[in-house]
Order: sequence, then structure tokens, then C-alpha cells
Amino acid sequence: MNSLLRIQTLAANTFREAIRNKLLYTLLGFGILMIGSGVLLATLSYVEVDEILQDMGMSAIRFFSAGIAIFVGIGLIHTEVERRTIFTILSKPVSRSEFLIGKWAGLTFTVWLQLLLMALAFAAVSWMAGAPLGSAHGIAIALIGLELMVLVALATLFSAFTAPMLAALFTIGLWLIGHLSRDLRALGEQSDLDSVSKMTDFVFRVMPDFEVFNKTLEAVHGLPIRAADVQMAIVYALAYTVATLVLASMIFSRRDFK
Amino acid sequence: MQEKRQVVCVDQVVKDFRPGFGLRRKRVLHGVTLQVFEGEIFGFVGPNGAGKTTMLKILMGLIRATGGRASILGRDVAESEFRDQIGFLPENPYFYPYLTAREILHFYARLCAVSKERRTARVDELLEVVHLTHAADARLQTFSKGMLQRVGVAQALIHDPRIVFLDEPMSGLDPIGRKEIRDVILSLRAAGKTVFMNTHILTDVEMICDRVAIIVKGTIRHQGRIEDFLPDGARRTELVLAQLPADAAARLEDEYSIEMRGLGERVELTVPEKDARAVLGIVLEAGAEVVSLTPHRNSLEDVFLTAVQEGESEGEGEDR
Repeated sequence: MNSLLRIQTLAANTFREAIRNKLLYTLLGFGILMIGSGVLLATLSYVEVDEILQDMGMSAIRFFSAGIAIFVGIGLIHTEVERRTIFTILSKPVSRSEFLIGKWAGLTFTVWLQLLLMALAFAAVSWMAGAPLGSAHGIAIALIGLELMVLVALATLFSAFTAPMLAALFTIGLWLIGHLSRDLRALGEQSDLDSVSKMTDFVFRVMPDFEVFNKTLEAVHGLPIRAADVQMAIVYALAYTVATLVLASMIFSRRDFK
Repeated sequence: MQEKRQVVCVDQVVKDFRPGFGLRRKRVLHGVTLQVFEGEIFGFVGPNGAGKTTMLKILMGLIRATGGRASILGRDVAESEFRDQIGFLPENPYFYPYLTAREILHFYARLCAVSKERRTARVDELLEVVHLTHAADARLQTFSKGMLQRVGVAQALIHDPRIVFLDEPMSGLDPIGRKEIRDVILSLRAAGKTVFMNTHILTDVEMICDRVAIIVKGTIRHQGRIEDFLPDGARRTELVLAQLPADAAARLEDEYSIEMRGLGERVELTVPEKDARAVLGIVLEAGAEVVSLTPHRNSLEDVFLTAVQEGESEGEGEDR
């Protein structure tokens, strides 16, 4: 019970800290601007105007939310160590795992909140443009939320043992690979060389698969989203987040704070 | 007499750091062994870079010892569950600048699971103790170094711990602030708490500490009660004399091996306390005029400086 209270306290404070980050508002502002600019882009086409508008909006939500998760997340632990605020926290009955989980939970809540704001902007723009809105859009955005949860866990992991610049490179790299690994595997399968297909398959299995959370196409084109896919995405996100945070805790618990 | 309970036990603790990526290691603690007993104020004294903060960080679980054992209240320092019984003030503490003094204390109180009913009263009480009631609702970014130090002391005490570890508690404080913090530390002892204090302000140590350990280049040079460091033989008397006849001066040099320093027409003598009465008799008998007589008690500073010089000459703390 006390453990939950400590995590909740740390998460609330992380949220308070994150919402003071000017980068968050810059990225959020650009994201909303991009969602709105879909209206202009759609006027360049005579066909699939709604689809272009919503595809642009969903992509902006994914891209800028990921930006917030990564660039706010990478400094999460580093700042605490650099400013030595961690000294007084870890001298209290707070385990290093609780500290990490608290930081992760606080930032996840922050990015979910900004996701909600972007989703509202998306809904407003779609409504004003007369584009259809349905539950599929809601599900697609909720899946982006799950993707952000995993991404924050990865940023927390890298932030736990390296400097912000390297943490940013690692997290961005994994995010990009995570969106390309399916294509990479498909390319590998077409190769004549067995070693190439095995390697791309290995990369697909080891690296996170962020495409599992991507249902933009279905939402924008009014295609059905299978319940099994959503369940799979939830299980995948939870498993990946837990595994990443366990690994982060293991690394973090061995770290010296000089 | 009932033996006091050991609450902090450090046994042969060694700490190596790797500067950079190489294999070379620098040993900063060389088998440190010390004990702190319940209810005492323990001063951990040493020059800058002696290893005081490293030792304290090991005790706080912030860094891991390379070798040896360290325990608090019988629990290994790597554990976190017993930390509701200890408080810690780091050197030059820094807190979230966007919070107020009241908010940061509530934050730490929640981390220590201080009950909701008790929390508000405890925060108000501590703000009063560290004289920050007037600034309780100001953001910490507006605080001076001394005010942050007071917040640091308050957060260390927020959960009413049994043992308080303070790293340079007087740092950044003006004389009034130092006295106030000294009074807080003394009141903790009066309440039966144990205080472990890292410092290099020796006057504070002499004034309030029961026991002291002097660390130089990662090695404990002395440990025990301050009185034990300063044996009677170390006390001396300084005499300034005028018109001391040459034969009396020669007698003093022959019989007592006393070194004399000329101060114009006057001479200054440093006499071991045990010889002071006899030497005074000789100079008065010889008709010399006693200009001044100053008894000196060897101070902790003397012991400290000697320990540092010994440590330097032994050339410890080399790279391994």
C-alpha cells in the first residue's frame, strides 16, 4: 500500500515537472497546427479529401506525441541525478524500482493528457471539415496511447543509464525500427539468401513492433478493426512495458550516484 | 554501566572508482571501519576529498561499496525498507524549484508514508523549527542557499527518524543560522536521536560532538571521544617574559629543553603544562617580569592538522 502511495507521489511530481517543460508545449502546438493544416492540404485534392485530412491528422498525433514522449522522457532520470534531487528521494524508504515506475507513470500520464488534447483538436477539425468520425478513430488514437506508454518505458530505460543525447538517439532509433521492422522482415523474406531472411526475422522478433499499434489506415478508410488485434496490442504493450521497466530497474539498481 | 547500542556499523569498507573508461581504478576508501552508538552526535571529519561524502553515500545506498560491510540498525545499507528510520541531508541540497517549502515537505512526508492527519502538523512544526514559516509558501527557486539548507534539514526530519545523517549541515549558513542548526542537532540528541555529521568545521565538532572520526585520504586516522584525542601531556602554557637573566635562560634550556623565541627585549617560551609551575618559579626567582601567561589546551584542529600531515606524508590514496 505504501509502495503505491510512493509511486503515486513520484508520478504526481513528475507530471508537475513535465507540464513545466516548454518543449512539451512547443511540440503540442506544432502537432495541433499540423492537424489543422490538414484542411489546407486536403483542398489540393478532389478525391479522398476526408481521408487526406484525417491521415494527416493521425500522423501528426503519432509523430508529435512520440516527440514529446522521447524528448521529455530522455531527461527524466538524468535531470534528477544531475541536480541531485534523487539523493533525498532515495534516502527515504523509496526503492529504485519505485522511483523508476513513478517517473514512468508520471510521464505516461502527461503524454496521454496531451494525446487527449490532440485528439480533441483532431475531432474538432474533422467535424468542421465534415469528415466522418467513428469509434474506429477512438480506437486508433487509444492504440497510439499504448504505443506512447511503451515509448516512455524505453525512454526511461535509456535515461536510467545514459546521457540525454544518447538516450534520445537510442529511443528514436528503436521507434523508427519499431515502425519499419515488419517491412524489413517482408523484404528479407523475398531475399534469396537464407541468412538475410533469418537476420531480418531476428530483428523483427527482438525489436519492438510499433506497427501493432497502427490502425490509422483502418480508421481513416472506415475499415473494421478486429477485436483480436486490439487485444493483441494491449497484451503486447503491457508485456513490453513491464519487461522494459524490469530491465531498467535492474540496470538502475546497480548504478552509483557520485 | 549499560553498553550503548551500535546503530551504524562500518566494517572494512573499500570503495574504488573508475575515472573514465579505462581499467585503472582509484581507491577512495581504504578499509574504513567505524561505529556510531545510539543517542550520540558523531562527527565525521576530514579535509576536502578525504572520502567523507563517499562514505555517507554508501550508508545512504546511493553508491555501492567495492568491499566490506556497512549496516544501519543491523540492516544492510543496500535495503530501502528501514529508511523510514533515517533522515539524510545531502551537501548543498537542491530541490524542485517550482515547489514551495510547504509543498516539498509534504512531498517527502508522503514518500515516508506520514499519515495525512499528522502531515500538516509536522510540516508546520518543522517550518517553525528551521525558521521558515514566513517563507513557507514561496517557491524554492526564490530561496537563498542558507534557506535551502534549512529546507534540507527539515526534510531530513520530516518522518521523525531515529538516526539523522547530515552532510555539511552548516554549509551556506550565517553565524545565526549555524547556531540555530546546532541547537536543532542538540535538541535531537536530547530527544534520544543519533546524529551522524560530516563536516570540516572543527569548532562545531568540538562544541557539539560526542565522538569523532578523522578521515584523511580514505583512511581513518583517529576515532573516539574528543577528550581521548587530547591527552593531558598535549596541554601547554605560553609565557612571555621581560628581563630574563642569561643564567636563568641557560638553566631553562638545560633542565627543561625549552625553546625560546626572542621578541625584541622579551622572550616567548612554550612550556609543557607539567613543567609550568617549576619554570614559573625559576623565572620569578631570577627576577624576570612575567608579561603574559597563557595556558593552551591542544585543540581538535591541532590533532586534525597533524592527522592530515601524516596522511599526506604516507602518500595514501594513490591510483591502483
